[in-house]
Amino acid sequence: MNSVPPASSPAGARNDGEDAELIERVARGDRTAFGALYDRYSRPLYSIALRVLNDAREAEDIVHDVFVALWNKAGGFAAERGTAFGWCVALTRNRAIDRVRARRRRGELLTQSLPADLGHDENRNGNTDSSDALWQKEKAAIVRQALESLPAEQRTALQLAYFGGLTQQEIAEQLSEPLGTVKARIRRGLFRLRELLPDGL
Amino acid sequence: MIDEHTEEVASLYAFDLLEGEEKSAFEQRLAQEPALCTLVNELRAASHGIASLAPLASPSPALRNRVMASVSDPRVPSRSHPLRFVLWAGWAAAAGFALAAASLGHLYLEARTDAVAGRESAAIAKVDAESTRQLLEAERLLSQGQLQSLRLAESRIATLQQQADLAQLKIASLTSLLVDSPQAQAIAVWSTEAQEGILAVVNLPALPANRDYQLWVIDPQYSLPVDGGVFTVEPSRGEARVQFKPKERIAQAVKFAVSLERKGGVAKAEGPMVLISP
Repeated sequence: MNSVPPASSPAGARNDGEDAELIERVARGDRTAFGALYDRYSRPLYSIALRVLNDAREAEDIVHDVFVALWNKAGGFAAERGTAFGWCVALTRNRAIDRVRARRRRGELLTQSLPADLGHDENRNGNTDSSDALWQKEKAAIVRQALESLPAEQRTALQLAYFGGLTQQEIAEQLSEPLGTVKARIRRGLFRLRELLPDGL
Repeated sequence: MIDEHTEEVASLYAFDLLEGEEKSAFEQRLAQEPALCTLVNELRAASHGIASLAPLASPSPALRNRVMASVSDPRVPSRSHPLRFVLWAGWAAAAGFALAAASLGHLYLEARTDAVAGRESAAIAKVDAESTRQLLEAERLLSQGQLQSLRLAESRIATLQQQADLAQLKIASLTSLLVDSPQAQAIAVWSTEAQEGILAVVNLPALPANRDYQLWVIDPQYSLPVDGGVFTVEPSRGEARVQFKPKERIAQAVKFAVSLERKGGVAKAEGPMVLISP
């Protein structure tokens, strides 16, 4: 199954320089460069938003807002502080989580149990496997391998923490485990992940 | 040495799972412990690897048109100068520093200019008074391939820090702790002798009417950060330049931090830290 590439770049480190060049052009108001960035980033960002929100329309709203933010803030983006794609991933996830929490505050309880693959058609819109896409898959495979090497209970806790928009207590309730156990799993899983993922991936 | 409990709290913070007092207390620690700050950044980076578990899906083709339409507003011309990125990505820190340094220069450096101001600091200092010269200088640097965004600015700050030591100034670069605004940054210039300083800020998010940013000075002689006063930012660019005098006498300003607080500020930091110096 295809999955979202790692947060360094949608096409790996070899394209980080190209991304930086595109960001510079976007900062100068270059709409063509902005369109190119959209084509690079939109699928992975949409996938993250959809994974969190489980609502295609809301996910598109998030992606729209993230790209508008990217357009408005490209001039202030400092490459030394991380890749543009990493910045977009963080922003997408945070905004999606905020929306989930707002939804929950309005009483529209999110009733999903454990996150599971949503079964989207990965290749609708005619996306094909370009060399970049293959490279993406390789990088994503490394991250997935690292995640899959974690004990299942740690991986599940991390998924809930990242995608769920839940509180600590709600994660514990979802997992039917004591809060202390859940906290320990998150700590062990995240620290292990930090060890397993190569720098810059 | 970071203990296991702190590691646990840091992990929860990386996922935005801390709330209320627990979150405030941890952010206060972040403001005072660079090693903890580094750990949180590493954990956050690792956490985003989890995004790869999301099955890859495609938005509708209409979204592209919608996004492109949203960015064709009349603000484009204001962003269209070819050096806009340079000025606001890398040059911003240097320009911000220049604003502070130039102003402080009147206070502290006037008598020492000949001795301590090198060629680069002189060029930077002129930026404050000569905006055109700033542009030309930026163009020159760009053409030489020397302008590597913040790295260059930080290099200049390091150079100027050496010079400033001679003048008993503390110069610190504050970087963002905001996930949504990683480009926010500030330069603090502080004189222990005069017990006052200047803070130049760029790219901080605009605030609602009931909130203020609050500057804190960390001095080891006090158990808590010392209040450096509140400020707001100009909404469109997130800029501010404020002269500050801490509420307590500062013997050694080892660090500066900015938190988000309720209007008028608080005696003890309560809100999230948004900027911190190394």
